[in-house]
Amino acid sequence: MTITAPFFGPLVSVHNLEVYFAVPHKGATVKAVDGVTFDVELGKTLGIIGESGSGKSTLGRALIGLVRPTGGSVLHEGEDPFELSRREFASHRRNYVTVFQDPSSALDPRMTIAQSVREPLDIVGQLSRPDRDARVVELLERVGLNPVHAQRYPHELSGGQKQRANIARALTLNPKLIVCDEVVAALDVSIQADILNLFADLQRAFNLTYVFISHDLGVVAHVSDYIGVMYLGKLVEFGPADRLMRAPLHPYTQALLSAEPCALPAKLRTKKRIILEGEVPSPLDPPSGCRFRTRCWLARDICATAEPLPRMVRPDQRVACHFADEAVLSPSPPGVTSFVVNTAL
Amino acid sequence: MTAMAPSAKTGTASKPLLAVDNLSIFFGRGAQETCVVSNLSFSIQPSEMIGIVGESGCGKSATALSLLRLLPSENSRISGHINFDGLDLAQLGEGDMQKIRGRRIAMIFQEPMSALDPVFTVGHQISETIRAHFGVGRREARERAIDALAAVGIAAPAQRYHEYSAQLSGGMRQRVLIAIALSCEPRLLIADEPTTALDVTVQSQIVDLLTDLASRRSMALVFITHDLGVVAEACSRVITMYAGQLVEDGNVDDVLTHPLHPYTSGLLCSLPRLSAPKTVLPAIPGRVPRTFDQTGCRFEDRCGFRLDKCSVAQPVLERDYRKARCCRVDELILPGAVR
Repeated sequence: MTITAPFFGPLVSVHNLEVYFAVPHKGATVKAVDGVTFDVELGKTLGIIGESGSGKSTLGRALIGLVRPTGGSVLHEGEDPFELSRREFASHRRNYVTVFQDPSSALDPRMTIAQSVREPLDIVGQLSRPDRDARVVELLERVGLNPVHAQRYPHELSGGQKQRANIARALTLNPKLIVCDEVVAALDVSIQADILNLFADLQRAFNLTYVFISHDLGVVAHVSDYIGVMYLGKLVEFGPADRLMRAPLHPYTQALLSAEPCALPAKLRTKKRIILEGEVPSPLDPPSGCRFRTRCWLARDICATAEPLPRMVRPDQRVACHFADEAVLSPSPPGVTSFVVNTAL
Repeated sequence: MTAMAPSAKTGTASKPLLAVDNLSIFFGRGAQETCVVSNLSFSIQPSEMIGIVGESGCGKSATALSLLRLLPSENSRISGHINFDGLDLAQLGEGDMQKIRGRRIAMIFQEPMSALDPVFTVGHQISETIRAHFGVGRREARERAIDALAAVGIAAPAQRYHEYSAQLSGGMRQRVLIAIALSCEPRLLIADEPTTALDVTVQSQIVDLLTDLASRRSMALVFITHDLGVVAEACSRVITMYAGQLVEDGNVDDVLTHPLHPYTSGLLCSLPRLSAPKTVLPAIPGRVPRTFDQTGCRFEDRCGFRLDKCSVAQPVLERDYRKARCCRVDELILPGAVR
């Protein structure tokens, strides 16, 4: 452990982040992440929700320096990782790691679990061989795998066990931030509960910071302190998890929350569904002005011409919508009588 | 293999549309043969919507495929009876079965991309089904296909008719599959994880579409899913499967409020809930056994309510139109989705 000067700001500070991808032959640009600003506090969990193609995963990659922003900045403890020299960057990125969705493809099929978990230590090369092996055993134990599993190959383990191995490997070099991109999507509910408990446990033990990317609202609501909602590259709403879940401000957040099926008997399912028309438009040709306007029941002329900027409607809760105040007052599309987000779920 | 499992006694007294009786499914040949579904019995009333839930490997999809006899005959085998409209599908010849598939019982699959043929237009694939079952001409099949596309909420169906699956979005493809499935007005639709590959906002569109079409056409619906939320919203009855067996069968609201089997209760409790963030989720310890050859309760090793009497074979017990494969059904009061 090295001792550095203490930094009191947020662990990660994202300012006006833009990640654009050029599409070959079409002369078009996909604005996967477009002007996103937020902070991630040390020791907290930020949840990112949104539909496929909303830019969640690209944002996650940009947060740990896996993709270079085309505009804006991602600061790690006040430092821009892309300003570092190659050598500095290599050691810097140990603190910012990720766990991917598919536990099988994230592990090398020709390496045993122990080899996969030890690989980062081998590369860093600070510890002696016996110390590295001891560290692997310790890590695997920490995530609930025993030495027998260590000698197995990925195909010999179940999905949940493989995901545990992936988590152990992410922990190898004592990271500060772990970006968890759909880490439980491929798992059955009972295994999913186990893995979520493990994440919570590790966070307490190591004061880890998580960015939890998921399309499963239940999972995100369960683990997060803060939640950001993405739609077509834009962060449309950002705020404390409990408030955002209880009283969403952006029409898209409201629709997303109401679409989540809840496992409750009919008499307790008080919430009314907001059925959005159509699907997410192509990111190659997003709508002008507010990108959600084509599916929004509050949309008016201004939504097509002026892009809504994020603003604080309630303390700590930022929303990018011209009519967010109205959405709070009359939060339902025509035909829907009431809108109550079910907190019993 | 003891006494005949009770059948057709659930819910209403009318004649069931489908009655599965002692269905067992075996994979593999000779000494390698393993039983993936054992002695499954349940029935479906006309226009009833039921959900079949359980974790991966519990036999949900194998059951669905066996109802249409879609399992490969060279390395799988089924025993028992599948009574549908006076016919036993388990014994039916391949030619007669072909007349049932698509026409009387239709199925939609999880991955709409791989279920559609990329080299034919979607319209062609719908009219193909219509022509095969009704023997109508090209023109009439085309008209019916366009009607079918309109019925599943596809805008400009006459244009979409000429498009290929690659030109459509995921939700649109799933709508096309539903159009194909419903084009022959089946009495029963089996939907195997129809919304798993879709986003929540599209998922809610598809679930609403399916339940709406099913109730308007008085078609029965079997929803195979691991998502208890979808079952709660779409179905009136739910069957829980575990390790190839039926472990619980009952009215959705009853099961969600007071599950009778510890496994169903475990599934409901392990769902993250918005009202209790950052708490420890009660996960079910262990995992589904790899082989289902134990004599006693198959859930015994993972169950928190296990007693000595659990190590003998557990029959399905009936309680007020509900069923559970648990010998402690009368003693246990298990937590459900409501707390």
